[in-house]
Amino acid sequence: MTAIEAMLHCQAGEFRLDVEFEAGPGITVLFGPSGSGKSLTLRAVAGILTPRDGRVVVDGRVVFDSRAGISVPAHARGVGYAGQRPALFPHLSVGGNVAFGIRAGSKQARARTAAEWLARLELPGFEGRSPGSLSGGQAQRVALARALAPGHRVLLLDEPFSALDESLRQGLRRLLTDLVQEGGLAIIFVTHDLREAHLLANRLVVIDRGQVLQAGLRDEVFRAPRHRRVAELLGGTNILPGRVVRRDAAAVTVAIAGWNAVAASWNGDPQPGDPVDVLIRPERVIIRRGEPAALNALPARIRREFDYGSGHSLEFTPLGPGPSLVVDLPSRPYDVLGIASRKDWMLELPPGDLHVMPAVPSRRETTQESRSLPGPTSRGS
Amino acid sequence: MDVLDPLRLSLLIATAGTAACIVIGTPIAWAIARSRSSVAAIISGISLLPLVLPPTAVGYYLLWLLGRESPTGRFLLDDLGIQLVFTWPGASIAAAVVSIPLYIRTAAAGFEQVDEEVLMAARTLVPPWRMFAFVVVPLAWPSLIAASLIAFARCLGEFGATVVVAASIPGRTRTLPAAIYDANLAGNEVLAHQLSLTALAIGFVLCSLLTFALQAAIRRDRP
Repeated sequence: MTAIEAMLHCQAGEFRLDVEFEAGPGITVLFGPSGSGKSLTLRAVAGILTPRDGRVVVDGRVVFDSRAGISVPAHARGVGYAGQRPALFPHLSVGGNVAFGIRAGSKQARARTAAEWLARLELPGFEGRSPGSLSGGQAQRVALARALAPGHRVLLLDEPFSALDESLRQGLRRLLTDLVQEGGLAIIFVTHDLREAHLLANRLVVIDRGQVLQAGLRDEVFRAPRHRRVAELLGGTNILPGRVVRRDAAAVTVAIAGWNAVAASWNGDPQPGDPVDVLIRPERVIIRRGEPAALNALPARIRREFDYGSGHSLEFTPLGPGPSLVVDLPSRPYDVLGIASRKDWMLELPPGDLHVMPAVPSRRETTQESRSLPGPTSRGS
Repeated sequence: MDVLDPLRLSLLIATAGTAACIVIGTPIAWAIARSRSSVAAIISGISLLPLVLPPTAVGYYLLWLLGRESPTGRFLLDDLGIQLVFTWPGASIAAAVVSIPLYIRTAAAGFEQVDEEVLMAARTLVPPWRMFAFVVVPLAWPSLIAASLIAFARCLGEFGATVVVAASIPGRTRTLPAAIYDANLAGNEVLAHQLSLTALAIGFVLCSLLTFALQAAIRRDRP
């Protein structure tokens, strides 16, 4: 069941938003850099702002259709909304905040429902507290309870944890995933934090400059980005320019800086001679002690390394022809392999983790194509 | 009696004028504070006009509008039987027109202070009228009180427009400022002093209330 279908066209000053995406049950993350149009999209879905034209369907009900002249007010769309800050009503108690949007039932029944929601969000007995007495994490939970208390099945969250420290964020992320699992909620979650996007998303919608670049299941999007820009936004550090030298039914061979690599995943229709970009995520590169790999073996030397505490980031330069690569390695394998005591290694790039993208994306591929996902020509990932 | 009659009339006119400012000015102030449309900008500009015009000019236009020479005046007099010129309700209208820019500016400043994200959250929960009544007004109340007090004070002190529309008829339209002017003109210095002292006392009370309202606003805005 699709919870939300949105096709929106907005103009805000010089900025133009043209997006189309679907969000099902679970968490759909709208991911993109600051100023890409994520919040604008969310507000248009919520009904807080009116798009120039478009169509929004929530749980099968059309809540906005510019052609049909339908524009259901925000409070009647059946969606809960929480922004970057809790934005609690300071003149009401915590219980009053949560009960504010509940329409049905007597005053006592509404207060009871509010208390139940507060208990569910791990704030039992907080009804009488004032918003000013809450910590940041507590206030954000009250904001979530307020958005959920009217009984909405769809929740729109605009970077709700951005102002909180990491320990509070972890707790709230856990709470959110619990709510989704328990209640079958559909959540659209806006973030520019890649780690948060990866942690929460069932589905990922990548937005940049007011357009959906790619949408689909999280792992599909991460492993098989449509083109370089998506790969860059998703933290791809090893994006290697190359040229196709051979195309088989199950593999593409690409020459990268004079070194041939076999890839089993690609977008588009790469043909011999085509310029392409090849992506391999830093955590997917295998470091070998020296024994030869079956395919895509690259002897390389550590040029620089960074210790992030829980892991290491290693910069390799090839010993012969081939690309420079960044490899991320958790601390334990780093110690077991004895990386610190040796500089020259054999890198292996598994073909299934090498993804080939057109070097110059076609217009079709740079604009949204949410309905066709998973990627029609994505292979092997 | 010479002091009480003008005082009673002034308070009556100021109360009615302030009520009119609240009823008409509040939605205009909200529109000015929240709307980015060109219509709101035009309304904002028009609402300032009484502030830049001489009060006597405002009174002159109102006299024309409410009198028999204009279609509005003829409609009021002939069809509804409502006489506004040379009456205290007419004086209230004149006082309200002169005061409303101050009310709108002060109230709009209060509405602008209401957190945008609080309003966004409220919009997804309740209809607009409930949001206004139960979120906006409680959050902007110090500014609304301040706006009402300023409007009341302006209505109370209004002379030029009021005297043109309602004249200075003893016991009917002679307000405190008009009575002071008349007493001074007649050389009755004792009465002029008494009336002026009364105006001063009212002004002191209003200023005190205004200070309380502003302090409440400051306390509310403090984290």
